[in-house]
Amino acid sequence: MRCASPLLPLRGAQVKRWRVMITAKLNHLLRSLPEAEWERWEPVLEQVDLPLGLVLYESGRPLSHVYFPTTAIISLLYVMENGASAEIAVVGNEGIVGVSLFMGGETTPSRAVVQSAGKGYRLSAERMKAEFNLAGPVLHLLLRYTQALLTQMAQTAVCNRHHSLDQQLCRWLLLSLDRLHDNKLIMTQELIANMLGVRREGVTEGAMKLQRAGLISYRRGHITVLDRAGLEARSCECYAVVKKEYDRLLPAVTAL
Amino acid sequence: MPDSPNQLLSQLPKASRRRLDALGQIVELRFSETVGTAGNPTDAVLFPNDGFISLLAQVDGGHAIEVGMIGCEGMLGIQLALGVSTEPLKALVQGPGHALRITAAAFRRELQADPALRAMVNRYVYVLFAQHARAAACLRFHQIEQRLARWLLMSHDRAQADRFRVTHEFLAYMLGVRRVGVTLAAGALQRRQLISYDRGEMTIVDRAGLADAACSCYASDQAAYAEQFG
Repeated sequence: MRCASPLLPLRGAQVKRWRVMITAKLNHLLRSLPEAEWERWEPVLEQVDLPLGLVLYESGRPLSHVYFPTTAIISLLYVMENGASAEIAVVGNEGIVGVSLFMGGETTPSRAVVQSAGKGYRLSAERMKAEFNLAGPVLHLLLRYTQALLTQMAQTAVCNRHHSLDQQLCRWLLLSLDRLHDNKLIMTQELIANMLGVRREGVTEGAMKLQRAGLISYRRGHITVLDRAGLEARSCECYAVVKKEYDRLLPAVTAL
Repeated sequence: MPDSPNQLLSQLPKASRRRLDALGQIVELRFSETVGTAGNPTDAVLFPNDGFISLLAQVDGGHAIEVGMIGCEGMLGIQLALGVSTEPLKALVQGPGHALRITAAAFRRELQADPALRAMVNRYVYVLFAQHARAAACLRFHQIEQRLARWLLMSHDRAQADRFRVTHEFLAYMLGVRRVGVTLAAGALQRRQLISYDRGEMTIVDRAGLADAACSCYASDQAAYAEQFG
């Protein structure tokens, strides 16, 4: 990595610090940390690669870390006893994966899977708990985030019942798009089908419809969103409800 | 000091409970009363002693789905502990009863001052979190009959009685299905002699049978609660 400032020759450790600061703060929660918190966190934050399909944790298993996605998107899935799964929320650069940890749950009720490849930072479970118990500004930020996540989950439940697959597909694409840095998603239809808890054919049909309408292009696992406004018009209200709630509960975070 | 009929309160140290009791007052929960509207300010928290409250997510200005249920095992108003002072969902009294009501301002002060209360509420947030998550998947995969059986068990636990009032219309609204779907499912459960239903009165006849008929979500909810508070 090259130093942008020629006036200040950086040593190895400084370069590392600088890089952490720039890349970790792509995550909006990390970016909203007050200076004192950042000083404490920075040396212990660990960057991780989050490849497509990686399982960050399984439901019912103890959590070893919490994750702050920076460029990846994580899908939280509820897994039934027979193995069928449905997505209950998505977490990207606006959030944190593993909130049940600071609510006192040693395990989590959902499975977390990387839905769009990228990077993130992680913090050990003990460290996170210790930070949370300091009851400082971090606590307030994370609690408000938890409420926003609860809203997303409740909205997903009602959406699952009342809205068509086409509407849900649009909602899902928009939620993903908000968490990406460009308009391209790498995603197989099989994975989308698992997220939405429907058959693969249903997703194929829905995606073809959106493609014919000129809203997306889909080629071998690559989805490019061409017309965002068009997707918004076709989505159910659930996308806007969830987005509004995040903006309201985390104004300092979502404005970043 | 006798145990509080509310299970969350009864988990607290005596001193915490005494302060909350002094701060609050017992109010009546009336059948079909709305005790929370999404987006409105949160005036107070409720700890039901008996009776129970449904948490509903709404879409399209009318359709709703029940995503959680709160009875003597829980509390309404966890958002205050999450630093949020507006109602996230519609809250509707389903089973009449009584609750300890504490104003939002007083409850917030107690949360600040009392780590035991904070820890208890956080654990309960986890339970509700698990309930919400399950609701999304349950709605996707489980049949009306299984979901109805689950709902009846949850209500039975909280009603603390074998009979309670509920109309098919209301059940349809809760479960997000058409009324005829509920009528068919309730008919099937009645033929198996698990329930009897007569003019708005639901009677649980065979609880164990109902547990067999319910989807796994009922047992999962119980397990999540037991993990935190058992």
